[in-house]
Amino acid sequence: MGILIKNGVVYDPAQGIYGEKMDISIDGDKIVEDVSSPERVIDAEGRLVVPGGVELHSHIAGGKVNAGRIMRPEDGRKGRAPRGRLTRACSGFSILNTFSTGYTYARMGYTTTFEAAMPPLLARHTHEEFEDMPITDKGALVLLDNNWMTMEYVKAGDLDRLAAYVSWMFGATKAYGIKIVNPGGVEAWGWGKNCSINDPVPHFDVTPKEIIRALAKVNEELKLPHSIHIHCNDLGHPGNFETTLETYDAVKDITASSDRQVMHATHTQFHAYGGSSWKDFESKADAIADYVNKNDHITIDLGAVMFCDTTTMTADGPMEYSLHTLSRRKWSNHDVELETGSGIIPVAYSPKVPVNAIQWAVGIELALLIEDPWKVVLTTDHPNGCPFTFYPEIIALLMSKPKREEMLKGVSDAVGRRALIATIDRELTWGEIITMTRSAPAKILGLSESKGTLRVGADADVAIYDIMPESFDPAKGYREIEEKLMRTFYTIKGGEVVVKDGEIVATPPGRTYWVNPVGEKAHAMREEMLKDLEAKFDAYYTVSMANYPVQDEYLSHPLEIRAG
Amino acid sequence: MAKITLTMRSSITVPLEAEVITPDGLAGKSEEEIKSLTVYHGNREMKLGDFFDVSVEGSGDPASTEIIMKGDLTRVKRIGEGMTAGSIVIEGSCDMHCGALMRGGKITVKGDADAWAGREMRGGELVIEGNAGNYLGAGYRGEMTGMRGGKITVEGDAGDYIGEHMAGGEILVKGNVGILPGLSMTGGRIIIEGSATMPGGEMTKGEIIVKGEVYDMLPGFRFEGEEEIEGKRFRKYTGDLAVRGVGKGVLLLG
Repeated sequence: MGILIKNGVVYDPAQGIYGEKMDISIDGDKIVEDVSSPERVIDAEGRLVVPGGVELHSHIAGGKVNAGRIMRPEDGRKGRAPRGRLTRACSGFSILNTFSTGYTYARMGYTTTFEAAMPPLLARHTHEEFEDMPITDKGALVLLDNNWMTMEYVKAGDLDRLAAYVSWMFGATKAYGIKIVNPGGVEAWGWGKNCSINDPVPHFDVTPKEIIRALAKVNEELKLPHSIHIHCNDLGHPGNFETTLETYDAVKDITASSDRQVMHATHTQFHAYGGSSWKDFESKADAIADYVNKNDHITIDLGAVMFCDTTTMTADGPMEYSLHTLSRRKWSNHDVELETGSGIIPVAYSPKVPVNAIQWAVGIELALLIEDPWKVVLTTDHPNGCPFTFYPEIIALLMSKPKREEMLKGVSDAVGRRALIATIDRELTWGEIITMTRSAPAKILGLSESKGTLRVGADADVAIYDIMPESFDPAKGYREIEEKLMRTFYTIKGGEVVVKDGEIVATPPGRTYWVNPVGEKAHAMREEMLKDLEAKFDAYYTVSMANYPVQDEYLSHPLEIRAG
Repeated sequence: MAKITLTMRSSITVPLEAEVITPDGLAGKSEEEIKSLTVYHGNREMKLGDFFDVSVEGSGDPASTEIIMKGDLTRVKRIGEGMTAGSIVIEGSCDMHCGALMRGGKITVKGDADAWAGREMRGGELVIEGNAGNYLGAGYRGEMTGMRGGKITVEGDAGDYIGEHMAGGEILVKGNVGILPGLSMTGGRIIIEGSATMPGGEMTKGEIIVKGEVYDMLPGFRFEGEEEIEGKRFRKYTGDLAVRGVGKGVLLLG
């Protein structure tokens, strides 16, 4: 029984292994010490052998993703593939259908994928799409910041009831972590306004900073595996880097309940801008990187932009409206009752448009200027910066200065004046790239025991790429990186070979992680909290409370983590 | 010179996706090679020879290749899709998307062409001797750009939303058209010799000439006076001011 991967050049930063020639043994769905009589022997012949990729921030399932598909039939025309012997029909470039999402991630060597923004009221839809998405293990971060219950408890300073509410919501929506999106700003958008970090939210008289601090404290009291995961206020605004740094600093004094950050700040590229208008818009990646380099309570992901016609979708409704006023392209806006909102608009990032070119530079600069790869995760905020299918090209940019020089020739010269990319010589190593795409996201999510590593006892999720790291020069071979990272030589998920030579060979269903807070704080004030919640359902919700929680049947392959 | 004749053996009800039928795709191929080309019949992968008798006379490059299509083609879609040169003569009526994405050459439809004929075409000539369906020369669902170049002539009537998102080229309809011709047009020219309803909605540029009756004229157009074209007087309007007040589109009504 089992699989033996022989002669691989292994990178497993979690174990301090950087390019050692060694064997990896798999028995059942786990990595084991050795396997006596393997059913299958894969001779990697010096190829790159790494843990399966871990995507910690991507918009792949749920109400707004599907609204994007409906809104953009022209995007569905791209990326089409007919049904195959094992595979369902595929479509989509920036908003892939559920099948294509699973197959494409698996072909690229990713085996764990987290949906970054689940509105509680649309949790059922999110889980239905997860069930329809083959291969990868999944989880969803639930939006709890613009929520009326949350804001009222924050205003009252009642963190015990807030903890009870958060833990009840985790069970009701089968969530993995707390997501914060433009705290207060999305609620303010209901009144045609927006909020920066110290502006009081209309009618609630709390500030975004108070919401962030309260949720961070509750997150640690409940001992959740992941930290709060935040999309800061003022996304996309020139000069927003100051808000971003103030947000980071707001939770500096809070102690993490486990060996990880206190705050994960997402798609930081969109939050690292200087200037006072679109005319003097500039990169402040250096200021953000400097803060992250000096502080250990914060981790970030990139949200890198690449030049293409993509679709932006976020719970940040006011931001999407401001994009619509700029481009006048078709725009969708949604209000999720007492909880959150969302917006969708197509965006074409053009290398000739100075602002877009600087955005592109900022994403790459952040990865190059942050010294510790454990603090920075490769994402594109799929599909907001660009689809996740650009990861291989982004990795090529990070590993190869010649690739950056080639690309710089085709972008607006504003990049030379108002960004830093051309002045940076650093080229990332395989060890750093594997950290940023596997080990770091697994640790940040609190999954470092099972994901992002090939340690004995971890899930048998392995990617083998047709690259020989011992004889390959990434700086010169950037085209090969782009090609080879798109389709693995092998992808193994949970001990099963799912991709061979870039083709899908098995489509097992993935599991869905969810966190069940069971500690004292989760239950102490539950009865009192439920009375408040019942009143909200009676007065405002369009659904009854009994119909609200996602039934267990919606998760055919659940993986419960008990926290606390 | 090459003359390739494709004769449909019998009528079908499930549509045939026949985008392989272009001079570019068939030029230089033998009868057997043409018969073995893949087509989808609904969701089934089939061969062109399963539906058509094929005869090839002479040989040549795409530009000197003429394809003659015979039989009941009313359920054959996407004929001439993306063609760059040569010619196709359809001796009867055809299904949707005829001449879609066409870049050059000429297609003549002796009968009617269903919806989306000349969709997103960039060049070449499409002549429909019968009637055309909806979305003639338009952009497909969700696209921001329809026809960009080339010329479409319809001897009969055309349906609704012709030239939607049209950005260039010319459409001439000798009969009547339905609702909203030139919707969201950004360039090019549409000439309608018969009647039209609500022409030019949300147009920001380009020109629509309607020689017959206009029904339900939209309110976002400004009257600019009369203009004489080839001895006939036209009322000239600009619009549609409903779109950010741009109003560089021109409507000439006879």
